[in-house]
Amino acid sequence: MSEKHGEMKCPSCGSENLPGTLFCVQCGTYLPSGGPLRTEPFSEQSQMRARPWTRDSGNDDDRVVGIELEVLETHRRVLLSAESDILIGRLDAAHGIFPEMDLTADGGLEHGVSRRQARIYVREGGWFVEDLDSTNGTFLNDERLTPYLPYRFHDSDIITLGTLRVQIMIHRESKAVI
Amino acid sequence: MNKTLDPTTDYYAVLGVSDNADQVEIKHAYRALARKLHPDSGNGDVAAFRMMQEAYEVLRSPALRKAYDRQREARGLGPQIPLQCDITLSRQVVQVLSVPQVVYVLVDIKPPQDLSPVRLPLNLALVIDRSTSMQGTRISNVKLAAMNLVDSLLPEDRMAIIAFSDRAETLVGSTGAQDKTSLRSAISQLVPGGGTEILQGLRMGLQEIRRHANRNYSNHLVLLTDGRTYGDEEDALAEAQLASADGIGISALGIGDDWNDLFLDSLARRGNGLCEYIQSPAQLHTLLQNHIRDLSSTAARNLSFDVNCAEGAELRAAFRAMPYMSDLKPQPGQAIFLGNLGSEAIVVMLELVLRSPRSGERRVARLNIAGQVGGASEPMSLHRDVFIQFVESPPTQGPPTARLVNLLARLSIFRLQERAWEALESGDVRQATSLLESAATRLFEIGYRQLGQATLKEADRVARSGEPTMSGRKTVRFGTRGLTSRSSEQWR
Ligand SMILES: [Zn+2]
Repeated sequence: MSEKHGEMKCPSCGSENLPGTLFCVQCGTYLPSGGPLRTEPFSEQSQMRARPWTRDSGNDDDRVVGIELEVLETHRRVLLSAESDILIGRLDAAHGIFPEMDLTADGGLEHGVSRRQARIYVREGGWFVEDLDSTNGTFLNDERLTPYLPYRFHDSDIITLGTLRVQIMIHRESKAVI
Repeated sequence: MNKTLDPTTDYYAVLGVSDNADQVEIKHAYRALARKLHPDSGNGDVAAFRMMQEAYEVLRSPALRKAYDRQREARGLGPQIPLQCDITLSRQVVQVLSVPQVVYVLVDIKPPQDLSPVRLPLNLALVIDRSTSMQGTRISNVKLAAMNLVDSLLPEDRMAIIAFSDRAETLVGSTGAQDKTSLRSAISQLVPGGGTEILQGLRMGLQEIRRHANRNYSNHLVLLTDGRTYGDEEDALAEAQLASADGIGISALGIGDDWNDLFLDSLARRGNGLCEYIQSPAQLHTLLQNHIRDLSSTAARNLSFDVNCAEGAELRAAFRAMPYMSDLKPQPGQAIFLGNLGSEAIVVMLELVLRSPRSGERRVARLNIAGQVGGASEPMSLHRDVFIQFVESPPTQGPPTARLVNLLARLSIFRLQERAWEALESGDVRQATSLLESAATRLFEIGYRQLGQATLKEADRVARSGEPTMSGRKTVRFGTRGLTSRSSEQWR
């Protein structure tokens, strides 16, 4: 993810790298996976294709467009679209694991986050989290999840991945706007 | 007929002859085709007939043919080295920025499927360390491996055996392999004793190879040692450089933990050979056998390549990524040697730094690859161009291919640890520690737990003592070097 102008700052060690660099020269971090305090921009296209609101979703009157996750440890915020399932874990380029939410730069390894830790997704207008049989477990408001079962969660809930705590902010778009 | 040459048409292919066909062949080919394609014949083809006529008009005239050949060569369409060479870029469209930026170029060099490797006769010198430290099982394992090697030679091969400690002696001069008895008895004479001084042994080995060296042989010196040489390193490196200019390769096999891997690595790099770390006797046997097999079985020999950068482009780094990793350390204006191409592809990763003052599509670099194929002694070459499209607004393009990212992930780990040792040599313990810790973290990330732990342990030792351990550094260096090869699975 190259900066518009100037050099790219490595999220892990803060070194400057030339745009286009894929692995930080000083520490080897995979740079395109984003950095701290950076909100992933939401392209117009993905908003248009966001999962539509369905009548079964009860009191969810507004269309879900995305979700913002804040890693409480590092205060890094990532905005992700509701368009498709979101994999949370640690990047492993070698095995083709490129999570939408990569926790490498947040000390994921030290906090026991698995490479494929959990996934979150929208169904019927509601958000769900599913643990992918991770080594150290996934918790919703401090309750451990049984692997591969969907758990519904809501705005301002806390999901814990290994020992890394992440706060949820659900973004909605009023139907009136469309 | 008033002829205009069209260098983009391959007249040789039209007539179905090779580009070194003589006038007789050309005439034969023409007559056969004319009968077949003539409009009056049953399956005549007017367009094909005209094209064939045009080809004949050009190729039968020595003057026209020469002009045509020259024009094709100028366009890079001349006789080419029959190798497959593919280029993959990390991105092809680049935004115009005020700062320099990086583009990675992955170069795959493979023999074409229909080109089977030719066995070249070997012209070898085995230079064996017989210092006191080799006493016991080490020397008997070396003897055994050397005996096995002699057994596997073919009658057209040659070998010399040199032993060295504080001084060197030729146990047997370069001998044809039909006389295996002399070679075997020379090996049995190896008795340990004395120190380790590599230079004299190296010189004697090279002298024996030079007696018979020519381009139709695979000329190679194999150095087996377990110790450190002191004071003669610079001279040894200079010898390796001279040898490589004469088409003689040098490989170094280090046994145990006490040899200097940095020195032997640069010796082998200058000698276009391989440096290997041997931890067990069984390894010595297989490594030696495989290495010798690779030396004789080559699809292409003495491959070299150079990168000509256009203005505003610069080659910042070049690495061999496969079959094993090494820093090719490119020097401006100098060709980079890649050695021989066996059945396994050679994969090279280039790091280009581009300055992009204006938009448009431009050639930023041309790669020239040269070498000899099969039994041919004349070098042939081919080139590939790297084109980049510079645009004003941020381009939308997918991520680089998984393979490129994958190789680069491993290369960046290899680079981190190589830089750590360099930092340590210049006394920067902090930087060395931090680089090793980063390398360890990345190793854990891609699932190399064992190697990651070994690297972390070495980082800890370096931080505390300011010195690497001989075994730790070798484990880390040779382990990461092999991350792109199948053998790396042992480190997971
Ligand atoms: Zn970094």
